Amino acid sequence: MSGVRLDHIVKAYGGLQVVHGIDLEVTPGEFVVLVGPSGCGKSTTLRMIAGLEEISDGTLTIDGTVMNSIAPKDRDVAMVFQNYALYPHLNVADNIAFGLRIRKTRKDEIAAAVKEVSGILGLTEYLERRPADLSGGQRQRVAMGRAIVRQPKVFLFDEPLSNLDAKLRTQMRAEIKRLHKRLGATSIYVTHDQVEAMTLADRIVVMNDGRIEQIGSPMDLFLNPANTFVAGFLGSPPMNMVTAKVVAGDTGPRAEFGGQSLEIADLPELRGQSGRIVTLGIRPEFVTLTTEDGAGVAVDVDLVETLGSEALVHATLGEKPFVIRAETIGRSLAMDGKARFTIPPHLVRIFDADSGKALAGQVHDQ
Amino acid sequence: MTDIPEQTGVPAEPAQRAPGYAKPTRAQAVVAHFKREWQLYAMLLPMVIWLLVFLYKPMYGLQIAFKDYSIFRGIQGSPWVGFEHFETLFSNDQFIRALRNTVIISFYTLLFGFPVPILLALMFNEILHKMFKKTAQTIVYLPHFISSVIIAGIVITAFSPSAGIVNTMLGWFGVEPIYFLTKPEWFRPIFIGTGIWQEAGFQSIVYLAAIAGVSPTLYESAVVDGASRWQMMWKITIPSILPTIIIMLIIRIGNIMEVSFEMVILLYQPATYETADVVNTFIYRQGIQGGQYDLAAAAGLFNAVVAFVLVIGANSISKRYSRTSLW
Amino acid sequence: MTNFNLYSRGDKLFVVLNMILIGMFAISTLYPFIYIAAVSFSSGFEARAGNVVLTPVGATLEAYKHVLSQPMFWISYKNTFIYTIGGTLMSLVIIIPGAYALSRPQLKGRRFWNLLVAFTMWFNAGMIPFFLNMRDLGLLDSYFGIIIGFAVNGFNIILLRNFFEGIPQSFEEAARMDGASEFQVLWKVYVPLSKPAIATVSLFCIVSRWNGFFWAMVLLQDEEKIPLQVYLRHTIVTLSDDNEFGASLVDAAYSVETVTAAIIVCSIIPILIVYPFIQRYFEKGILLGGVKE
Repeated sequence: MSGVRLDHIVKAYGGLQVVHGIDLEVTPGEFVVLVGPSGCGKSTTLRMIAGLEEISDGTLTIDGTVMNSIAPKDRDVAMVFQNYALYPHLNVADNIAFGLRIRKTRKDEIAAAVKEVSGILGLTEYLERRPADLSGGQRQRVAMGRAIVRQPKVFLFDEPLSNLDAKLRTQMRAEIKRLHKRLGATSIYVTHDQVEAMTLADRIVVMNDGRIEQIGSPMDLFLNPANTFVAGFLGSPPMNMVTAKVVAGDTGPRAEFGGQSLEIADLPELRGQSGRIVTLGIRPEFVTLTTEDGAGVAVDVDLVETLGSEALVHATLGEKPFVIRAETIGRSLAMDGKARFTIPPHLVRIFDADSGKALAGQVHDQ
Repeated sequence: MTDIPEQTGVPAEPAQRAPGYAKPTRAQAVVAHFKREWQLYAMLLPMVIWLLVFLYKPMYGLQIAFKDYSIFRGIQGSPWVGFEHFETLFSNDQFIRALRNTVIISFYTLLFGFPVPILLALMFNEILHKMFKKTAQTIVYLPHFISSVIIAGIVITAFSPSAGIVNTMLGWFGVEPIYFLTKPEWFRPIFIGTGIWQEAGFQSIVYLAAIAGVSPTLYESAVVDGASRWQMMWKITIPSILPTIIIMLIIRIGNIMEVSFEMVILLYQPATYETADVVNTFIYRQGIQGGQYDLAAAAGLFNAVVAFVLVIGANSISKRYSRTSLW
Repeated sequence: MTNFNLYSRGDKLFVVLNMILIGMFAISTLYPFIYIAAVSFSSGFEARAGNVVLTPVGATLEAYKHVLSQPMFWISYKNTFIYTIGGTLMSLVIIIPGAYALSRPQLKGRRFWNLLVAFTMWFNAGMIPFFLNMRDLGLLDSYFGIIIGFAVNGFNIILLRNFFEGIPQSFEEAARMDGASEFQVLWKVYVPLSKPAIATVSLFCIVSRWNGFFWAMVLLQDEEKIPLQVYLRHTIVTLSDDNEFGASLVDAAYSVETVTAAIIVCSIIPILIVYPFIQRYFEKGILLGGVKE
C-alpha cells in the first residue's frame, strides 16, 4: 500500500492553464474524494495521476517514486471509468483477466485471481456473459473487478456511479465503501455529487476553477467550511447565505439584515468592527422553528415540501431564498405565509463579504 | 465521461517549484511525448510514406506539363517551356472537343440521372411488404458492384446489330438493325442510360438513409390528421430530405469533370470520338498510347485544377448550407 | 402506419401502383443479366441470329467448354485472385494502423496529417504523372506494383478513422492502464470493436480489386500477369470487332456472342457469391465515410 503525493501539479493546454498547482498528500490506505462542479479540474487531476494526461508542471510521487514521465501501465495504478470501458467483445472473465494477460501473468494465476475477484464481487455466475447482457450494476462491478484483480498500489475512480439510477447508485456506493474497508487500498475518487463525497470519503478535497478550496474530513468540511464556495457546495439543501451588517448588541455582537437581527458568536476578528459587512452562512439543519411571538428571525414561506420524517420549508428572507429543514413528527407545519426561526450563535458561520473566506476562530468538532 | 479541458482557464502563471523538480523545457516535453507515443507515429508512417510515394511524388512530376519532357532526360533534366503545352492544347480541336464532350456528358448525366435515385428512394419508402422491398433493393444495388468491363460487354452484346436483343426487339416493329455503337448520335444516350442503370439504385441508399431519419411521429400525426400517402410524401418526406438532396446536387456539380472514362474507353471507337471522347480518354490516347507525356500531363493538370476548384467550391457551399462538410 | 387494411382506397391504389413500378425497375435491372445468361447457354447459331430473348435457345455448354479450355482464362483468373487477396491485405495493413493513429487525439499535428489524406481526395496529379512515377519506381509489369500502387485511398481511411473516433476514448485509456502497448490497444481492443467497419473497407477493397481494369491494362504488358478484367476486355471488345474470328466461328456450336456471355457469367459469379456479405455492410459503410470532418 502506498501514498500519493502531488506537489504543485499544473495542467495547461497551450497557454491556457486549467489546474493551477495542486498540493495534496494521500496517505496509504486512505480514501480521498475529489469533488467539485463540472469543469473544476478534478477529472484532469485524476487523469494526471493515472498518466492519461501529461503533467505540465509539478511533481507526482507514488510510493516515493516520481511518476511524471512514467507510462500509465508502469505506475501500478488502476482506474474505474465513468462508462466502465468494458470491452464488449470479451466476456466478464476475459474482461477481468485482460490486464493480467497483457502482463503475461501465468494462466493458473490468472484463473485463480479471476475466481477470487468474481467471488468478492458476486460475479461468479456471470463470468461467461458479455457486457451487453449485464445490468448497469453488474457492469459497474466488472469494472471494479478489472481494477481489483491487478492489486494495484492505488485505485482511481472517475465518476464511476454517475451512469446508474438513483437507487442503484446508493447501493453501489455502500458496496464501494465496504470493498474499501475490506481491501484497504489507497483510493482517489472523483465525483461531482457531494452526497457521494460525504458518504465515501476519509477526506474530501473540494475543488473549484482548478484550485483546491478546502481539504478535510466530511464532517469537518460540513461544520467548518473555509469559504462560501465550500459552504454552498457541501450539504443538501445547501447552506443559506445572508448578507448582514455587524452591530454591537446588549449581550454581544449581532448581525443585522433587512430590519431584523441575529445574535452571532463573539469572534476576535469582529471586535470593534461594528458596521462591517459579512456573509452569514446558516445551515438549513441548524435552525429551529419557533412559534413564540417576536422571537427569532421571520421569513416568508412559499412552499413546504414534506419528505416524511422531515420537511423542507422554502422561504424567502429579504427577497433571497432561504430553506429550513424541519422535523415533521409530532408537530404541525401549518403556516400562514410566515415562519420564525432561531439558531444558536455559534452555529452561524461568518464569512468575509468580499473574499468569501470564513473568519478565524470558528472551529466545531463533531 | 471526463471533464473536457476546462473552459475556466486563466493564462498560465509559473507555479511554485517543488524542490528537486524543474519544469520541463519545450524540447524535453517533445522528447518525452515521442518516447511515450512513438508507437502511434510508427502506425502512421507506412500510410504517410505511401501517400508521399504514390500520390504526392506524382504531383511533383506534374511539372512536366511546363517542360519539354523526354524519358531520357528525366523530369529534372528536361528544359522548361512555360505554357507552350497549354497553348498547344487550346488550339487543338480534339482537346476542345474532349472538354466540350466532358461537360455535355456530365450535364446530361446530372439532368437525367440525378432525380432517379431520389424517386427510387421515395418509392422504396412506400413499400410495405418487407420481403418485396428487400429483394427489389438487392437487385437494384447489384449493378454497382459489376465491373465496367462486364457492363460494357453486356452493352456490346445487347446492342449488337445482328445478335443483340435491342435490335431483335426493334425488328418486331419492323425497324432495320441499327449499328448503335458506331453511331455518334447514339453514344451519349447509351452511355448515360447505362450509367443510370448501373448506379441509380446504389445512389438511392443515401436518400433512404435520410428518409429513415425522419421522425415517425411526423407521419403518425399526419395520419391522424387524415393525410393520404401521396400528401405525406410531398408534405413530409420530400421537405425532410431536401437538405440531403441539395448537398448531393452540390457534390455532383463539384464532380462535373469526372466522367467514368473507363466506360468510355470500353464503349467508344474512332467512329464515335466526335461525341464520346472526353478529357481523360484524350489524355490516355495522347499520353499513354501516344507517348506525348508532357502535353497529356498539361491536359491532366488543367482537368485537375478545374476539378479542385469545383470540389472546394462545392464543399464550402455545402458547409455553409448544412454546417456539415463532406470530409 | 404499416397496416395496409387501414389505408383509404386512394392510398391502396397508390401503394399498389408504386409496387408495380418498383417491380418493373427491378426487372429491367435484372433482365440484362438474365439475357446474358440465356445467351451463354444458347447455340452459337441462334445467338448470332438474334433469337435469344429470355431463355437459352438450342441449349448447349459449348461456349463454356471453349472458355474454360483457354489457358489465358485460368491464368487471368488466378492473377485476379492474387491481386484481390494481396491488394486487400496490403490495404488493411496500411490503412488500419494509419486510420487509428489519425483518430487519436494525442497525435501531434493531427490536423496536418488529416489534411495530407484529405488533400489527395480533392486533387490528384492525374494519369500521366502517376504512370511515369510507377515506371520510375520500376513497378511496371509487376504483381507487387499493382498490389502496392493502389493500396490506399482517402475514402477508406476516413471511413475507418471516423469509426475509430466513435469508439469512446476510455477503451484506449483502460487498455493502456491495463498495461497494453498502443499496438496491443489497436489489435486487442479497437480491431475487434471495429469489425463492421473493417469488413466494409475490406469489401470495398475486394470489389474494386476484382473489378479493376484500367490500370492493370496500362501497367501490365506481360500476358502472364494480366487479371481477368483485362483478359475479358481483350475477348469482349476486341473480338466483337474481329470479323475473322467471327467468320471462323460460323459453323461452330458457339459464337462470339455466346463466348462473351459465358466469360461474363464466369467472372460475375465470385461477385455474386460475396454480394450478400457486402450488402450487409455497405449501406452503413457509405454513410460512415461521408459527412463529418
